[in-house]
Amino acid sequence: MWACRLLHAGLSAAPRGRRAQSALTQLRGVLEEELEAIRGAGTWKSERVITSRQGPRIHVDGVSGGILNFCANNYLGLSSHPEVIQAGLQALEEFGAGLSSTRFICGTQSIHKDLEAKIARFHQREDAILYPSCFDANAGLFEALLTPQDAVLSDELNHASIIDGIRLCKAHKYRYRHLDMADLEAKLQEAQKHRLRLVATDGAFSMDGDIAPLQEICHLASRYGALVFVDECHATGFLGATGRGTDELLGVTDQVTIINSTLGKALGGASGGYTTGPEPLVSLLRQRARPYLFSNSLPPAVAGCASKALDLLMESNAIVQSMAAKTQRFRRKMKAAGFTVLGANHPICPVMLGDARLASCMADDMLKRGIFVIGFSYPVVPKNKARIRVQISAVHSEEDIDRCVEAFVEVGRLHGALP
Amino acid sequence: MWACRLLHAGLSAAPRGRRAQSALTQLRGVLEEELEAIRGAGTWKSERVITSRQGPRIHVDGVSGGPGTDTFLSPFLLSCCVHTFFTSGILNFCANNYLGLSSHPEVIQAGLQALEEFGAGLSSTRFICGTQSIHKDLEAKIARFHQREDAILYPSCFDANAGLFEALLTPQDAVLSDELNHASIIDGIRLCKAHKYRYRHLDMADLEAKLQEAQKHRLRLVATDGAFSMDGDIAPLQEICHLASRYGALVFVDECHATGFLGATGRGTDELLGVTDQVTIINSTLGKALGGASGGYTTGPEPLVSLLRQRARPYLFSNSLPPAVAGCASKALDLLMESNAIVQSMAAKTQRFRRKMKAAGFTVLGANHPICPVMLGDARLASCMADDMLKRGIFVIGFSYPVVPKNKARIRVQISAVHSEEDIDRCVEAFVEVGRLHGALP
Repeated sequence: MWACRLLHAGLSAAPRGRRAQSALTQLRGVLEEELEAIRGAGTWKSERVITSRQGPRIHVDGVSGGILNFCANNYLGLSSHPEVIQAGLQALEEFGAGLSSTRFICGTQSIHKDLEAKIARFHQREDAILYPSCFDANAGLFEALLTPQDAVLSDELNHASIIDGIRLCKAHKYRYRHLDMADLEAKLQEAQKHRLRLVATDGAFSMDGDIAPLQEICHLASRYGALVFVDECHATGFLGATGRGTDELLGVTDQVTIINSTLGKALGGASGGYTTGPEPLVSLLRQRARPYLFSNSLPPAVAGCASKALDLLMESNAIVQSMAAKTQRFRRKMKAAGFTVLGANHPICPVMLGDARLASCMADDMLKRGIFVIGFSYPVVPKNKARIRVQISAVHSEEDIDRCVEAFVEVGRLHGALP
Repeated sequence: MWACRLLHAGLSAAPRGRRAQSALTQLRGVLEEELEAIRGAGTWKSERVITSRQGPRIHVDGVSGGPGTDTFLSPFLLSCCVHTFFTSGILNFCANNYLGLSSHPEVIQAGLQALEEFGAGLSSTRFICGTQSIHKDLEAKIARFHQREDAILYPSCFDANAGLFEALLTPQDAVLSDELNHASIIDGIRLCKAHKYRYRHLDMADLEAKLQEAQKHRLRLVATDGAFSMDGDIAPLQEICHLASRYGALVFVDECHATGFLGATGRGTDELLGVTDQVTIINSTLGKALGGASGGYTTGPEPLVSLLRQRARPYLFSNSLPPAVAGCASKALDLLMESNAIVQSMAAKTQRFRRKMKAAGFTVLGANHPICPVMLGDARLASCMADDMLKRGIFVIGFSYPVVPKNKARIRVQISAVHSEEDIDRCVEAFVEVGRLHGALP
């Protein structure tokens, strides 16, 4: 801070002609200070460079051998599935590299309409609208739908993109404590004075691996005249008997009004997001949602990959059904070894470590043992709540999982994270 | 509004058990009212479905290659009939496909190779396990292209704009923004905590006054589109940089409608106006001239890019760019860096269209930019004229609220380097016919 004040005092005095150079110099000074603070806090994020396709086994620049990847959202292993890749190749050939257009200008190809219809069918909703990402779907929904007459009630640990989307809207904003149904009920009562009420929650919380109690949420919504919105990014494709998500898992498909989800995780991992729900809502989003109106239409290759991923999922449940047992295997063994793993039945398994540097150093030593995981620290998770977030995939074998646990135990002992 | 009040009164009285159904019914009522209002205002956006690749010639679902039998055909159009209409589809005059690269065979081939080598997707943000060598190479290439120190990829330039201001600026700082900047810049600025100043469109006196006001803050950042997407005008960067220099401000330019085709080598408005070393930060897109698939970026000083990697929310919390997209964009940049020829054809084509349209009596905004907004005012007029243009084999659409201000509806024509002179002449002819038909021309 003091460095900034000195610089500022210096600037006020400098002749105007030299101020361009000073502004840039000042910027560099400010930036270096920020970067130093991040390093000092131990929350610096380094990017390892992968030289292969994404998958359960990858190659990492500077590290010999195949590495087991335990931190991708590649829940079903579709990010390098040959049929998904083939569908992408075909779409590139038929529909070209890109649209160079938003949807409403000249960016809608038949491949987009088909994919939206398929998504709606998959979720058993009336209609669906594509976005460049679910980040954008969340950014677009609240502002387009809600007015100052309305209210949105949001779990405090919702994804960053939902928080940003709500910040951009003009409704009255209520926040309830994470999964706290008594607090939600109190806020719903407060919110009776508004026109529409929309409860917004992640289906599965990405940093904690816990699942929203949708049955209770839908029950409260019914009592207090509210609609329910669920972000299913960490559920679509693998939660529920047929991978339809948390609404299927908890038997509330007909009570959840709006779903946002992604094509960039389990469903092929390329990119893209969507909203699915009542047809007039989707129509309104096409007319009003800013990230839809002002951003590019989905590239054909991405639409092709996602479409094939959905086909594979709708043809067969087999791959989904292998996941529960694998998730339990990892959780059971890690707990037996003495680690704290958050959540319950979700393939997201956050191994809690607390200190950011500890998480980061342990992740580096895991890599030396052929296991790719990384430390999660601020601002992605709260300060002092650093963790290594493991994600189990349907294409991990039991041997893979056992190797991962063994490496954790070795590295945990090495760093004193285990007794 | 009264319908909403009745519903609300009804809801307060309803037994609690029935309120779920009522909430949904209420939602449907609210939505239908909104949709009806949009239709009533004439600003409804319909999406025509394209069944081919994007390009200067496309196929549109439900539209045959040429005009319908009930349409008047000028002698000029008739003479083109056999060759042009029934073999080559509809002429597209409203894509951001400025260089025609969205269906360039080498760009597609690069996408195919990247898919094969690097797979369908990363299923990961960049910092977790989403960085492949293809991403690092592309970022280095972008920085080299713009002659900046470093670059960072985002899923879109919309996201690059959303991420920049909040990550860089604090409540000690100020951002000064042209009032007609792109929606994504406006949203990005809304999300940041700096003091916000707005200056009248291209008004340098107003910018100067705001810069003086902003002297009390720590950092000052002037933010402007390089080329304005709805008006086709170009920011006066020389004056902006001069003022920035005088008043100790940094300059940020969004180059989405400039990268690839403005300036002698397509580097953008900074090259065009000779201020490459005075513009600090550039955001731009891979989703327009550079292959049209998707992706955006920020390029500028290395410590800025490093900070964005650590702090920018759309970067930290959204997926890494799919390999096919990175491959296509990389090849598009290669093509551009190899040769200026395609860029250089654009100025003459743009001038041809503008000159002929003005001579015919149309008002076309902007000056030298391939974005040529044909001003019509009324939203329905723009929409109906666009439909009649389609019947004549020209794909354009009407732009209305909220994309442009109310009563300022237009048809935004975009000239591409791969339009021929004949294409441009056909487009003008169709505008003249349709304009007369609708009373938009005397």
